[in-house]
Amino acid sequence: MPDVYTDEWYDAVRDAMNASAAKLADLPEGAFVVAIEIFADGCSPYVEEGRERRFLARIEGGRCAWYRELDSAEDERAEAGGRVDYRFRGPASSFDELAAGLADPIDAALRGTIKVRGDIRFLLRHADHVKALLDAYTSSVATTWPEGRPPYGGAREGGARASEEAAAPEATAGA
Amino acid sequence: MRDAYDVIVIGAGHNGLTLAAYLARSGLDVVVLEARHEEGGGLCTEELTQPGFLHNVHANYHTFVDMAPPLVDLEVESHGVTYVRPEVQMASVFDDGTALTVHTDLDRTCESIARFSEEDAETFRALYSEAHGFVDLLLGTLMYQPPMSLKELTKALSAFGVEGRSKFLSVKLRRETIDTFLDQHFTHPKVKAHLAFHGAVCGYANDVPGLAMSYPLLVGKIDNWNLCVGGSHRLAHALWRDLAQHGGVMISDAEVASIAVEDGRAIGVVLADGTELSARRLVASSVDVEQTFLRMLPPGAVPAEMLERIAGGAIAHQPWSLFSVHLAMSETPRYEAAAFDPDVDRAWVVNLGYSSTEELDADWREVRAGRIPDVLRPNAAVNSLYDPTDAPEGCATGLLRQFAPYSLAGGGPAAWDDLGRWVGQRCIDAWRRFAPNLTDEAIIDWAPYSPADIPRKLRNMVQGDWMMGEISLANMLDRRPMPELAQYRTPVQGLYMAGSTQHPHGFVTFAPAYNALSVIAEDLGLDKWWYDV
Amino acid sequence: MTSGAGEGTAAGSYDAIVIGAGHNGLCLAAYLRRAGLTTLVVERRHEEGGGVNTEEPVLPGFRHNMHAQYMEFFDVMPMVADFGLEDIGLRTVMPEAQAGIAFADGRPPIVIHRPELIERTKASIARYSKADAELYVALKERAAGMEQIVAASLYTPPAPTALQAQEVMIEAAFGDLGIPGYFASKSARAIIDELFETPELRALLYRATVEWGAPLEESGIGGMFLTFVMWTLGNWKLCLGGTHTLAKAMTQACYREGVDLLESSSVERILVEGGRAAGVRIRGGKEIRAERLVASNADLRQTLLELAGPENLSELWVRRAKAYRYGPSHVLGTPVFCLHEPPAYRSARFDPDIDRCFYTVVGFESDSEVLRYIRDAYGGRLPEPGAGTWVNSLWDPSQAPAGSHAATGWYFFPPASALSPQEWSEVRATYNERFLARWRASAPNMTSGNVMAHRLYTPDQMERKNLMREGDFSNGEFALDQLGANRPFPEASSYRTEIEGLYLCGPSAYPGGGVHAACGYNAFKAIAEDLGLASPLVPERGY
Repeated sequence: MPDVYTDEWYDAVRDAMNASAAKLADLPEGAFVVAIEIFADGCSPYVEEGRERRFLARIEGGRCAWYRELDSAEDERAEAGGRVDYRFRGPASSFDELAAGLADPIDAALRGTIKVRGDIRFLLRHADHVKALLDAYTSSVATTWPEGRPPYGGAREGGARASEEAAAPEATAGA
Repeated sequence: MRDAYDVIVIGAGHNGLTLAAYLARSGLDVVVLEARHEEGGGLCTEELTQPGFLHNVHANYHTFVDMAPPLVDLEVESHGVTYVRPEVQMASVFDDGTALTVHTDLDRTCESIARFSEEDAETFRALYSEAHGFVDLLLGTLMYQPPMSLKELTKALSAFGVEGRSKFLSVKLRRETIDTFLDQHFTHPKVKAHLAFHGAVCGYANDVPGLAMSYPLLVGKIDNWNLCVGGSHRLAHALWRDLAQHGGVMISDAEVASIAVEDGRAIGVVLADGTELSARRLVASSVDVEQTFLRMLPPGAVPAEMLERIAGGAIAHQPWSLFSVHLAMSETPRYEAAAFDPDVDRAWVVNLGYSSTEELDADWREVRAGRIPDVLRPNAAVNSLYDPTDAPEGCATGLLRQFAPYSLAGGGPAAWDDLGRWVGQRCIDAWRRFAPNLTDEAIIDWAPYSPADIPRKLRNMVQGDWMMGEISLANMLDRRPMPELAQYRTPVQGLYMAGSTQHPHGFVTFAPAYNALSVIAEDLGLDKWWYDV
Repeated sequence: MTSGAGEGTAAGSYDAIVIGAGHNGLCLAAYLRRAGLTTLVVERRHEEGGGVNTEEPVLPGFRHNMHAQYMEFFDVMPMVADFGLEDIGLRTVMPEAQAGIAFADGRPPIVIHRPELIERTKASIARYSKADAELYVALKERAAGMEQIVAASLYTPPAPTALQAQEVMIEAAFGDLGIPGYFASKSARAIIDELFETPELRALLYRATVEWGAPLEESGIGGMFLTFVMWTLGNWKLCLGGTHTLAKAMTQACYREGVDLLESSSVERILVEGGRAAGVRIRGGKEIRAERLVASNADLRQTLLELAGPENLSELWVRRAKAYRYGPSHVLGTPVFCLHEPPAYRSARFDPDIDRCFYTVVGFESDSEVLRYIRDAYGGRLPEPGAGTWVNSLWDPSQAPAGSHAATGWYFFPPASALSPQEWSEVRATYNERFLARWRASAPNMTSGNVMAHRLYTPDQMERKNLMREGDFSNGEFALDQLGANRPFPEASSYRTEIEGLYLCGPSAYPGGGVHAACGYNAFKAIAEDLGLASPLVPERGY
């Protein structure tokens, strides 16, 4: 039961997504680099105020080949070889809610909470595959939330307190 | 004029200039050839009445500000373009003295709608909020990318289960009219009338099956009507300046007579005066399909069967056009309905009297049959309310637009020439009914501009079609303007289509050029510096 | 190439600010930028070009030049070559038959051709008088030979000795034809009458002289007929697409150099700080700083009294500016006509070239009618209709829809203030019809059925449109005391003003109105000298 946004968690998510993809026929060919940017929104305890959490994932033949957490935007260029095909950007609590299976990624994209950049036509053409990956991301990994669990609700102060309170039972369950 | 360039772009409308500017910024040697004496195409601002009164003869509404990538990529603001987003965007005034106003402030819009129906106001809030959220995703991605097919699109929407997540989006919208959509969700006839009117001003007639599909998107940007200060032509200047500052050239009064084709490849153009220009990399046409294929391309360049279809009317044109009256006025309108809602006097665009979708439908039927409706209900825009530079101090410009046929039953388009002053006066009378202060004294001068005048000024607006292609399901996405041309490439290698004939459509979207650019970049292996994922 | 891009008109400061995007302003701006100064042009209208404008004012597809018509200086205008205007949009046609006069009674016309077709010109004049024909040819040849000298005099700031110089030039060029230097001090009419016996030729030459701006009957000023009118007559070019194409090419040159241009922005104040021009304030309040200079293409009085302000000027300058006069020279009405077919003149039975003339004088049966016309217009009275006319669609089919023609004319009119707004409104409603009746007398096909639409732009409208005071496109009367080194007044004739860093670059400065861009070019010379700029000018040109 990995803590969210740790290497173990990323591995678990990757494996879950790949397992899910393996069940599908007609996986899209080619390789894609996806950048994910999670910015602090004052609610989530997992991204410090004024900072961003960024990582890259490379999808090859429909499966996640690797992922890397980045320290800065400059890193992205070095790691991705200057090429990023998709970018998902949104506030930390939205991403937290997705990881906790509380929110739906399609809704988040439709409502503009999470911005999507890149060739959307390709995503639409491979909707089944994309859907499978997203489902795996949002509901396949049992995650622990050491700093508190979403939803945080309300403003920063209240949100932080609420997550502390929520942290205890989750940690217990994890143990 | 030099006789060889990397790229020749035909037509200096906003799409032609945009494509050219990007390519010039990409290091290519670009020339844009414009048949008129002015660049800008529909971005045309002229002193049609009196000196100092600037009239936007065509494009008046810029609704893709903050959405269209070229506005940022080409640093349009730094080239002197200023947009104003009027606080009171639109209004409807009705015969009973009531009025509905749409504001940039959603709460105020809802308050106005609530005066007719509280339920409708809540529905509008929900629709707007939902639609506004996905405007960014759908407009920003689907519009500014080459089109996919409707089938693929609906399949994806159902795979993602969009229907289940939205009160307003549904796969069956692709068979429905905007009227049906409005009837499903709204109750008050006047609210529906205003919402249908808004679609019509965008080019989407409320009685055409299938257009309901796009309607939520239109609502998502219902409060994003922007005015280009100093006239829409300012934007043309800005695009031209960007092109020129990056080494490109725009040549006006350079009518292209033919496109030179060798071994199936476009290699240049010949101007009407015989001047030959060669294109080392490509030719892009931003004018209409008919001119490009029937007039400019030499025989044999494309399959005869394709030409026959084009000549036979394969390009669908909007079955309605606009009759305009441009006015020089000594005061702005004061509506009687201001007693009901004072904000109407500050509304940029006003629907003069359509109070139900049935009234609009009846006019569409008349117009499609080539008749001028008996009761004229033009819409009125007063730019001077928000742009003091467009008229002499203390004065105002006015623009009345009436939905009207291009070709009149019994007389065709030429019949407009005898009717212009008469219809114009009736449009003014219709305005005066709602704003009695617009007496003959208050109207310094006015000039009619009929549907027949449209292609005389801007030849590529075939049949007075300012959308350069019908807005209909059959002429959308990968079927616009015809399947062979929908992806911006043509059967002639090195010849691209980059104007409003292409997906998504007319209006100041920049999208046809932007999408053609992606295709060209792919074919030429250009570094897409402008596309930063 | 991209030096100006991105900084944009949002920038709050430039080295140089030019007020007015008329062709002189654009010319100056292009040179300033090339000399290394960051430069902004601020234009009140939504379009660049000032009087160099072409519109579709009546029917779509019918283009008309609202002010400037024919172009006579492109061969000598430095900007054309220096900025490669012909590579970036300037394209011209030089019709063979250049200027003609047609008559209602079907008398032979007089048609002046391009210089290399001088034999045809000679034959045309010779129908009336062999002597006139021979003298005309001789004058034209001599005038052509003076091109370099005349061009140099245009494109150099005026010397106080300009009038004496003109005497010397005339003596040298025409002395052996019995035209000694003192002819410079005659009136144009006196020269024409002394040299030519044919009333028909005199009528055409009177009209051509007035077009140049020279008052016909004012003594002391007629030398212009010999040096300028005879030089340019028959050298007229038409801009393909309309004269606005020139403004476009100049604007494009400015853009390529990196000049910024801000339209729809009315300068309401030139900022003067410590006796120095420091920038401009635009209507609405925005201030833009000028680190080195402000140059005004606006008219003299507006520049000094309204924009800079009398408080920043000496009493003498205020008095001079107030005394500066506008019109009656160069006050025009521009009628535009949308035609099915071009006029077919009765006089064409003697010489079909009259139907293919670039510029055709219509409505005058004799030299005395032209004289009366000009006396009326200059005297503040509405003259009997007559006009110089152009049917540009004959040379440039794009200027009218297929199968139709666009015609434009020039009436000489009283200054705007001579008539009340109501009277001008009445003129707009009736005058074209009166002119058309006269046109029809000379060209019977000019029936009401042949005229799809027409419209008249009057001096009061030009004043509003382009701030041409009184409708005077030179923004200042052509009179001996306002010409040469006296323009606009002697103390201001070097393009410099009393206010440090404030320059004049419009037609209120030497040499005045006309599409030569010399006001802007000469202003650049003055500025370059003051600021010690590295000169981008071509020394071999000689000016």
